[in-house]
Parts: sequence; C-alpha cells; structure tokens
Amino acid sequence: MAEVRLVDIEKKYGSFLAVSKQSLTIHDGEFLVLLGPSGCGKTTTMRMIAGLEDITSGDIMIKGERINDKPPKDRDIAMVFQNYGLYPHMTVRQNIEYPLKLRGVKRGERKTRVQETADKVELGALLDRRPSELSGGQRQRVALARAIVRTPSIFLMDEPLSNLDAKLRVTMRAELKHLHHELGVTTVYVTHDQMEAMTLASRVAVMREGKIVQLDTPKKIYAEPADLFVAGFIGSPSMNLIDGSVKGGVFRADGVEIPVPLEDRSGVVLGIRPEELDISQGPNAPINGKLYALELTGESTLVTLRNGPTSVCARGHADFEADINSPCHLTPKDGARFHLFDRASGERLG
Amino acid sequence: MKRSLAYVGERALLIFISVVVLFPIAWMFLTAFKKPRDAYSLSLNFEPTLQNFVTVFSEPWNLGSMVMNSVIVATVTVVIAVPCAALAAYSFSRFRVKGRKFLFFLILSTQFIPAVVIVLPFFLMFRQLDLLDTRIALIIVNLAIVTPFVIWMIKGFIDAIPTDSEEAAMIDGASRLRVIKDIVMPMAAPGILTSSIFCFILTWNEFLFALILSRRDAVTLPVGLVSFRTERGDLWELMSAAGVMITVPIFIMALFIQKHFTRGMTAGAVK
Ligand SMILES: Nc1ncnc2c1ncn2[C@@H]1O[C@H](COP(=O)(O)OP(=O)(O)OP(=O)(O)O)[C@@H](O)[C@H]1O
Ligand SMILES: [Mg+2]
Repeated sequence: MAEVRLVDIEKKYGSFLAVSKQSLTIHDGEFLVLLGPSGCGKTTTMRMIAGLEDITSGDIMIKGERINDKPPKDRDIAMVFQNYGLYPHMTVRQNIEYPLKLRGVKRGERKTRVQETADKVELGALLDRRPSELSGGQRQRVALARAIVRTPSIFLMDEPLSNLDAKLRVTMRAELKHLHHELGVTTVYVTHDQMEAMTLASRVAVMREGKIVQLDTPKKIYAEPADLFVAGFIGSPSMNLIDGSVKGGVFRADGVEIPVPLEDRSGVVLGIRPEELDISQGPNAPINGKLYALELTGESTLVTLRNGPTSVCARGHADFEADINSPCHLTPKDGARFHLFDRASGERLG
Repeated sequence: MKRSLAYVGERALLIFISVVVLFPIAWMFLTAFKKPRDAYSLSLNFEPTLQNFVTVFSEPWNLGSMVMNSVIVATVTVVIAVPCAALAAYSFSRFRVKGRKFLFFLILSTQFIPAVVIVLPFFLMFRQLDLLDTRIALIIVNLAIVTPFVIWMIKGFIDAIPTDSEEAAMIDGASRLRVIKDIVMPMAAPGILTSSIFCFILTWNEFLFALILSRRDAVTLPVGLVSFRTERGDLWELMSAAGVMITVPIFIMALFIQKHFTRGMTAGAVK
C-alpha cells in the first residue's frame, strides 16, 4: 500500500522534452489510468516511477520517502512492460516464478502461487513452453502473470491487455478489477482503450505532449472535458466537434442551429456526443444534412450526416435504415450536454 | 540453363579455393604418417606408420611437456580473460559513462600495435621480474593480447541483447550482478562460448612472444615446431606429426563453434 507523489518531474532526452514538469499524486490504493495519444510520455512517466529512467529534475516520493536515487529492486514495484520484457531463456513457469525466487519465497509456495496465477491468465497449460514458442497475446499474459504473482506496493501496467483478443481482454479486465478490489494495491495503468480506462480507473490522467491536461474521475472527464483535445480523445465514437460561430445566442454552422448561452463570437467549436443525439423526422431539426454513412455496430447504428464542412455522427437504433444521400435530421436528446470550446486555444468556454 | 551455368561456376570456384586452402593441411596430415624415407616423395602410395607420434613424444623432442605448456597457458588465459572481459563488455555495452567511447577505443587500439614493437620491452620486464621461460610470463602476455579482443567480441553479443529483460529483472528484485548472472550470461552464452574458443585458439597459436620469452621449460607447441629444423636438415615427418597435434584440437573446437554458434537465443523476449 503506498501513495506515489510526483513533484515537478521532468524528463528530457537530449533537448527533447518527453515529460515536462508534471506533478501528480496517486493516492494509496488508487487505480490511476494514464491516457493519451502515442508518444505523449506515458511510458516515460511509468519508467521514471519504476526507476528505469533517470529523472531530469523533480522528485518522486513513495510512501512519503524521496526515492529518486533508489534502485528499481528496492522500490517494491511490479510492472507489466509494453513490450513484455520476458526472459527468453526461461520457461513460462520460470518467468512467472522469478520475482518470487528473488524475494526468497519458499519452493513449495512458489509452485502453488505460479500455478494459481497462470490459471488466472489462462496459461496453465503452457507453463513448460519458452516465450519464443508463444503467440503475442500469450506472451503478454506471461508478462501480466509475472507482475501479479506477488503483491507489491505498486503495480505499473503499460498497456497490459493491448494484444489480447476482444473476449480475453474483457475477461482479463474483470480479473484485474477484481484483483485491485481484493488487494487494494496502488496501480498506475496505461491504456489506449476508452472502455478499459472508464471501467477500471478511479481517476484518469489525460496526457498530451508530456503534460497532464486533465486529471479527474472517468465520469467527470467524460461529462466535462477540460479542453478540445480531451473532448476529442475521450469517448468512442468520439464527440462531434462542429466549427461555427455564435450570434444572438444561437450557435450556427452549415446545417446547424442550436441555442447556446454564450455571447457573440466566432471561432467556436460546439461539441456533442453521438449518444446524445436522436434521429428525427421533419425538416425543423437543429441539425440537418444528408446521410453520409451507416455503420451497424451490433447494439446500435452509427449514423453520419454531412452538410458542407459539417459532419455529425449519432448513435441510433440498431433497426434504423435509410438511403445514403437522403435528407437526414438530428435532434439533441432532452438534457443533452453541449460543450463549447474556443477554436484557437482549445479552451473550454462553457 | 543460365542458372545452372552460374551454379557450376560457383561450385568450381568453391572447390578451387578449398583445394588451395586445404591442400597443405592435407599434405601435412599425410606426411605425419610417413616414414622418413617417404617424406619427400610425392607418391600417395606409402606404408603408413604411427612411429612419428611415438618419436616426437620421446627424447630428445619431448613434445609432451610442450603440449602441457600449451594446454596450461591457453586454458588459464581463457579462464581469466573471459570472465573479466565479459564484465568489461557488459559495462561498455550498458553504462553510459563519460569517456566510454574513448576508453573503448583505447582498449581496442592496443590491438593495432605490432607485436614486434613490444616484445623487447616485455622481454626486459620479465627478465627484471625473473619470469623468463615461465608459463606465468606467457599467460600474462597472452592476457594482454587476448583480453581486448575478447572484450570487443563479447560486447558485440551483449549489444545485440535487448535491455527489456534486464529491466524486468531489476523490477522483479534483482541486483545488477544478479541480472548479469541470471539474465545476461545465459542469453549471451553462445557468444561467450564462441569468444572463449577464439581466445583459446589465439593463445594456442601464439608464436612470437612464446619464441622470445621461453627457452626450455615454458616452450609451447608452435615454438616446439621450430626445433625440428636441425643441422641434419628439416625433419618433415616429425614436424608434421607435431603439426597434427597442434591442429587437431583447433579443428575440434571449430566444429564445436559451428554447432553451437546459434543466434536467436533472445527470440521471444519482446513483441
Ligand atoms: N530513449 C529515448 N530517447 C529519445 N527519445 C525518447 C526515448 N524514449 C522515448 N522517447 C520519446 O519520448 C516521447 C514519449 O515516449 P513514451 O514512450 O513515453 O510515449 P508513450 O506515451 O508511451 O507512447 P505509446 O502510447 O506509443 O507507447 C516520445 O516522443 C518518444 O519519441
Ligand atoms: Mg508507451
């Protein structure tokens, strides 16, 4: 159990700024998800916490103790590496067993713990293979098993489920959630997957170009993205972001007229989530255009409408059918949230 | 048609090169089993004998003690050089220390100095230390020659090992030395084995220093070969028998390297 505190940490590779003066407190027992586009510094942040990367400036505190100069082995961390980092000359069993061996766990207990953990990640039958004889997903599960085989103070997981098929990913997600509930170990978790972030996180830190742009609960980040970047990044399909301007209390763009509580200005972006739009009849809808694409996802149909440069996507009923290029109308649901951003700065306006 | 012509040409060239390279060696092997009177004959039709091998091991040639010297010098050199070189190679490969590149160059540059330039200083030094004609002197000299080479060679192998597994081991709770023992060495094992054999061969064949620094007690096989050039002429059949003694271990090792020189030990560590 441990609180992790990052104080003004910065990482430069030569003159390239990978992480710029970020502060972040990860509470004891919290499940913190780092979310952000490729190359934004998620792995770098993790590696600094783990002690694999020197910190250019700033402090890292674990349980209130400054551990900048402590070697990784003394930080009591378990980590799933983005690229696995398995021991190729050892069998799966030896791979999973190694951390226990290093911490002096007795042989008998090691054996049962390895077996239990392997079963959890559905690797029980592959214990005597070597990593080179495994598929990518199986390797990733070995990496995961090696991390969860013991109970450290902190878990660091860098996209631990990225290479699994959809079904296994859901199973493993539940497994991790259960594990976290059971052990209450402070966890930092990197993912690209919205669902993973939403379902697992106590809090989500959205990163961009080495900076944390928003740190909040998944609910809050979804409902109230701090800026244009977060708005576009969170949610799947992502939020509709419509370029337009406000005049006389009405937001206008090609085919769009929506009243908003904002004084006159141009260069405004209006955001609305696809799941908060209804497909409506009649020409007097707030959003009008021609049907551009229909995508059946199973439980719903994604309807994309276009009008000039405006493109809006709505999540409609799975049974919805219409001809491409036929007129199409969308109405925000009751209580739908409109997000307003400044085009140039990306800042939230309301 | 065209392709088969290229194929034939290629084969012919390979055979030609093999013959050029292997002929003297084959001839040496044949001569080793000839009686003295057949030694100068070009005929392949001779009565083979093992007498030469008996002769070289008895007085006055005493090849036995030379074999002993060679084995001891080469083995001890390998046993000291390879572990030291492996640690040095690991450090050069992994630690980003200031002046690392220069230091590495410095170590390599010792290989560019012609042996004849330093053999006299070595001679004087060992005379001062009263180590002339001892195996210790030969071991020291060979270490100086071989270690930089082995460092360079093992570094190549370690460079090729991704650091991911090492980092994982450090997180799992291993100290740096433990990482080297548990992770790096097993993964670099084929490379280290190969380097050891190279190191052995280099030492085994070393001639100049052994010639200058030994007289009677510490004479090694290559130097011993010279003693078959006597006032009574060159004793080719004995020289060949001794030559066989020198080459056979090297042949065996070369075969061993080929068999065990397998890359791909690191497969499966990462995506
Ligand atoms: N050893 C290095 N030397 C130089 N630049 C590096 C090094 N490692 C990472 N970087 C750079 O730092 C930035 C952050 O990298 P990082 O690996 O943290 O990204 P990430 O957020 O984990 O991305 P991904 O989602 O693709 O894994 C990238 O722009 C990357 O190019
Ligand atoms: Mg990464």
